[in-house]
Amino acid sequence: MQANQYITLMDTLARFRLRAEARRFGLGYLWWILEPLLYVGVFYLVFVLFLGNREPGFLFFLAVGKLTFIWFSKTINQAALSLVNSREIMAQTNLPKHLFPVAVIHEGLYRQAAVFVFLLSFLWLAGFPPDFAWLWLIPVIFTQYVLIVGCSLLAAVLVCLQRDFQMLIQLGTVFLLFMSGIFWDIHSISNPEVIFWLESMNPLVVLLDAYRQILLWGRAPDMAQLLSINVQATVLLSFMAWLYAKLNFWLAERAITQ
Amino acid sequence: MALVTLSNVAMLYHDPTGSGGRDYSVFEGINFGLQRGERVGVIGRNGAGKSTLLRIMAKIFAPYLGEVVWAPGITVSLLSLGLGFRPDLTGRENAQLACLLQGLSRRDATAALGPIEAFCEIGDFFDAPVRTYSTGMRARLGFATALATRSDVILIDETFGVGDAVFKEKAEQALRGQMTEDRGIVIVSHAPVQIETLCSRAVWLAEGGIQAEGDPVEVLAQYNGTA
Repeated sequence: MQANQYITLMDTLARFRLRAEARRFGLGYLWWILEPLLYVGVFYLVFVLFLGNREPGFLFFLAVGKLTFIWFSKTINQAALSLVNSREIMAQTNLPKHLFPVAVIHEGLYRQAAVFVFLLSFLWLAGFPPDFAWLWLIPVIFTQYVLIVGCSLLAAVLVCLQRDFQMLIQLGTVFLLFMSGIFWDIHSISNPEVIFWLESMNPLVVLLDAYRQILLWGRAPDMAQLLSINVQATVLLSFMAWLYAKLNFWLAERAITQ
Repeated sequence: MALVTLSNVAMLYHDPTGSGGRDYSVFEGINFGLQRGERVGVIGRNGAGKSTLLRIMAKIFAPYLGEVVWAPGITVSLLSLGLGFRPDLTGRENAQLACLLQGLSRRDATAALGPIEAFCEIGDFFDAPVRTYSTGMRARLGFATALATRSDVILIDETFGVGDAVFKEKAEQALRGQMTEDRGIVIVSHAPVQIETLCSRAVWLAEGGIQAEGDPVEVLAQYNGTA
């Protein structure tokens, strides 16, 4: 399949899925912003009003963490089902199987673009005006994108292999919700070994902190850590590309006959 | 050179429950060739492997054993009615997506929408979500979309089974329009009349292999003799 044909199909699948989703709900596309915003609202209610968190600027800290984390969690969970949910198309056409998770990833990317516009506008209105430091967002967003692609491709294969992985992936993203520093600041941990362990085991800790460094404190992120995540995610992505090519027929048979 | 040649092809499905059970064989030792201008009808009972045979020819499944050779540069389309239609998308959107999936460019897919809409004759429903369609309307949209293909090999999986008599006649006529000398067509059907009137050769699949092959009238007589 030619690259332009692949991109056209991927883009059309992603846009049509978004359109179909918007048609299902009365508030349509507004849910792109409302859903993450409601999450932030619920967490704010729990941590500030119920648990009495008095840290200044906690709302912005929470908003940046949650609105960037949700890009990863929502995409992984949706992409995990992308192969098994595309069995009817697979039964009709021989397409590169990674097209299906990649289309879901781009559906998430388009949605997240609106979330980023909202987040930056919200921060601007709240007293965090645009700054040259915002340019650092480009490598951070790129790194998160590569990580999402690698992990989504893996999740889709695992669920196609055995449907039970869907439950584990859902549980895993809930675990990451608590382990990625959405509600707590990595810099508030005094033990450097714990910091090292958290940052090595979970790239989202580094990414969420990088977003906050840029947007809330106007500082450059740790580029060495970002580069390290990029390299690891690219290795995973390359391996998955090889695996998808290798398993092209097996994935079709598995998805169609399971 | 034949458009598609199958030599000693065998197909095995792995245990569908995924619980480590036994694999099962669909067919083995299949030898089959499709020439340009040929229209082959495939008959057989449910589970005989007709759809599997089409999927192997469409490069969707790899055979467990044997070899499949496609003539260089040819394109193959497998047409199944309404398969993959997304209920929340409109007929127009589903038709556009189906055209892209068949390998048409964005421009060609958009250009194909006019003829598809005209063939369907479903009026304003073309811009309504497919979940609001009747079975007949889905059939019309499915067939009209399938006709947009420009492939060298067209594999049709029981496409005529639905729709009213007027639509069946219209669909059959439209399919005749697709029968050109440079194309090969394989039709899976449970309707003997269609195999007789549309096909130049028939293949009867049963008991894990080809039971009979040749003139449609003769093969159908043998098939009906065992039914």
